[in-house]
Amino acid sequence: MELPVREEEKNIHSEECYMNMGPQHPSTHGVLHLELKLDGEVVVDSIVHIGYLHRSMEKIAENRTYTQFIPFTDRLDYVSAMNNNLGYCLAVEKLMNMDVPLRAKYIRVIAAELNRIASHLIAIGSFAQDLGALATPLFYCFRERELILDIFDEICGNRLTYNYMRIGGVQFDLPDGIDKKIQDFIKCMRSRIKEYIDLLSYNVIFLARTKDIGVLLKDKAVNYSVTGPNLRASGVRCDLRKDEPYLVYDKFQFDIPVADKGDVWDRYNIRIQEIEQSLRIIEQALAGLPEGNPTVKVGRIHKPPAGEVYLRTESPRGELGFYIVSDGSEYPYRLKIRAPSFSNLAVIPELIRGVKMADVVSILGSLDIVMGEIDR
Amino acid sequence: MKKYTNNLAAGIISLLKGMGVTLKNFFSPATTFQYPTQKLPMSPRFRGLVDLDPQKCVICYQCVKICPTGCLSIKHKELAEGKKALEVFKYKMEFCCFCGFCEQICPKGAIYMNKIYEVATYDHEQLYINLLNPKKYDEWANPTVK
Amino acid sequence: MFTLLNLITMLVVGAMILGFIAGSSMFLIWGERKVSARIQSRLGPMRVGWQGLLQSVADAIKLLLKEDIMPTGVDKWVWQLAPFFAAVPSVMAFVVIPFGKNLIVKDLNVGILYITSITSICVLGIFMAGWSSNNKYSLLGGIRSAAQIISYEVPLILSIITVVMFTGSLSMQKIVEEQSKYWFILRPNLAVAFLIYMISALAEVNRTPFDIPEAESELVAGYHTEYSGIRFAMFFVAEYTNLFIISAVAATLFLGGWQGPVLPPVLWFLLKTYGIVFILMWVRWSFPRVRVDQLMSFTWKVLTPIAFLNLIISGWILVR
Repeated sequence: MELPVREEEKNIHSEECYMNMGPQHPSTHGVLHLELKLDGEVVVDSIVHIGYLHRSMEKIAENRTYTQFIPFTDRLDYVSAMNNNLGYCLAVEKLMNMDVPLRAKYIRVIAAELNRIASHLIAIGSFAQDLGALATPLFYCFRERELILDIFDEICGNRLTYNYMRIGGVQFDLPDGIDKKIQDFIKCMRSRIKEYIDLLSYNVIFLARTKDIGVLLKDKAVNYSVTGPNLRASGVRCDLRKDEPYLVYDKFQFDIPVADKGDVWDRYNIRIQEIEQSLRIIEQALAGLPEGNPTVKVGRIHKPPAGEVYLRTESPRGELGFYIVSDGSEYPYRLKIRAPSFSNLAVIPELIRGVKMADVVSILGSLDIVMGEIDR
Repeated sequence: MKKYTNNLAAGIISLLKGMGVTLKNFFSPATTFQYPTQKLPMSPRFRGLVDLDPQKCVICYQCVKICPTGCLSIKHKELAEGKKALEVFKYKMEFCCFCGFCEQICPKGAIYMNKIYEVATYDHEQLYINLLNPKKYDEWANPTVK
Repeated sequence: MFTLLNLITMLVVGAMILGFIAGSSMFLIWGERKVSARIQSRLGPMRVGWQGLLQSVADAIKLLLKEDIMPTGVDKWVWQLAPFFAAVPSVMAFVVIPFGKNLIVKDLNVGILYITSITSICVLGIFMAGWSSNNKYSLLGGIRSAAQIISYEVPLILSIITVVMFTGSLSMQKIVEEQSKYWFILRPNLAVAFLIYMISALAEVNRTPFDIPEAESELVAGYHTEYSGIRFAMFFVAEYTNLFIISAVAATLFLGGWQGPVLPPVLWFLLKTYGIVFILMWVRWSFPRVRVDQLMSFTWKVLTPIAFLNLIISGWILVR
């Protein structure tokens, strides 16, 4: 039954106010500018402004040789740099029809999966912090991430911008003793995942903030080309490591976690389950590591035959694609990067229509975007 | 009514579980170290600043060509009998992206990356480093260990 | 008859209490930083003094030396008075806190009623700060905070009434003396009252998980954004003093005040109070924040009915 509206209420003039969730903000992940139109506490409309981190990487690529561009791919999605290196090197190798030694493939899988865990840890930690759990889950996640970064420091010499994969292999072989360190890390990480689930996943306050919020329906997700854990949380079972296996992923046994509701809690939970699956893959890869020489000496100028290639890999945020057009010379003619966060971000105006202010931050944190790869 | 009390009980138990996790961490030792008084050593493959051993350099210009940002520049002069000698070897530290290509491509191992990681300076001139000067990193923190 | 001796006694006791409040607040601020650091697997302040004990002193000196900025367009008198309205009631509530057998400034026979009425004035301070800053985000923070504090007063008072029913007196010393056999928390209906009191008290002093007005909310910066220097320090000290007061009241009403076997009574009282302060800090660093509408629905749909039910059951137990 509708309550009758009094005459005076119909004449009350209420305005909608525009508010900027500006480029500098503690809760937007990077320099994202979100312009919101608010009616009291409820968001009516929003416009997304990006481009504050544009560094013209695709244009720079047209003046660098194929090997020289690898450090630049590190800086796209700076949180999971190994996956970017991997995607780029696989694309160039496909263009040149080059084969990679088997040991290099296994090492690449180990590095990529370790980086997937590191990236999901940041996603979970910063998401919990945006909700108000003042930094406690964040510190726990970063404590585990430090172990991974120390492993990477021993393997390739750097903690964030690795420059590890080369066209045809990797830069260095695994050092001695890294085997034991990775096994210790896997054991430690398994017990810590239980801690995260106890601390956050079923906490009644956390559930109240995340259940049934920001529901992304299946057809909308597919129409907006959302990929990665966000798509799997909406019920679409789609993972490039199983659908079009690259490297040696078809030799390992692992599951793809899929949820059915598509709300914020599902997106968070899928990331926790994916960490567990990545640990399984790393264990199997370490057990089956073959002998051989995976290294490649730098210095050869690659001149791929004229043609084009589009290769996609599964990065922690979704489907990362590299489209390279070569005209036979040592510089690419055109290099285009398909960033997963770019398509994931496009869903935001749809998702935050009609929610309260406090939920905007929740939804933004659950989509896990990195501005480095959106703006390139 | 039963669902209401069940929800309440489940809620309280979840909160207590969370508090148990934080209490366990309260009594565990800290995982940080006190930075300026305690410094950790870097790993053997760590990529710090670029350093040069001028005796081993054969002036092949490979490092200059492969640097993605163009931060190295060399000038040499021709001596008698076709030998070459280095005149100028400049390194612009503000352009360096610490990728390690120069170290990997050098055929003689003359150019390498040392272990300096505290690279903040007050003076812009300090960022233009002359690699031929043997005392170039003396006033920087951390010894230059290969 | 009011003699010179009375006057001097009042002044000396007043100075002691103020000294205790200042020292206690600094200790609590240091304690919060250390507890939060250990929970987050790091060390906390370590450099200024042994284990960072003098860090609060350094922070206080820094805040004192800051420039006093008054933004344009603020409502001048309201803006300047707001920190006092937040800080002074907290100090005034110390009059009836029983530190020991005779260590109480004045054992008013309306003790607990006096505390609840005086701490209600703190709402005024927050609301004045929110309104007078010429800032729509502060206004939103102030309004939310006022709604939150007023709503949570109801379960708070209901749980206190449950205790008062068992003692038959509002005086703080009488409540402590009633617990000489066994503490009130050991009775089941009063244990429920203790839980309700703790949750409502957390919401009263704006601490996580109910710290929407104060902590860095999603967009807005809160009601004390336009304050700097000593005015901000007053809000800060008021928060920690409030924390001490609600822990002291909980220790008195439910845990037996200064009663205890071997140690001197003051020590027992401080131990119990700081124990509850530790639990409140532990809760702060474990949970995310609640949303505003969830906050209101929680108090009106869950806490208040349970508090009423508890009151009726306690009445029935007493009459039986």
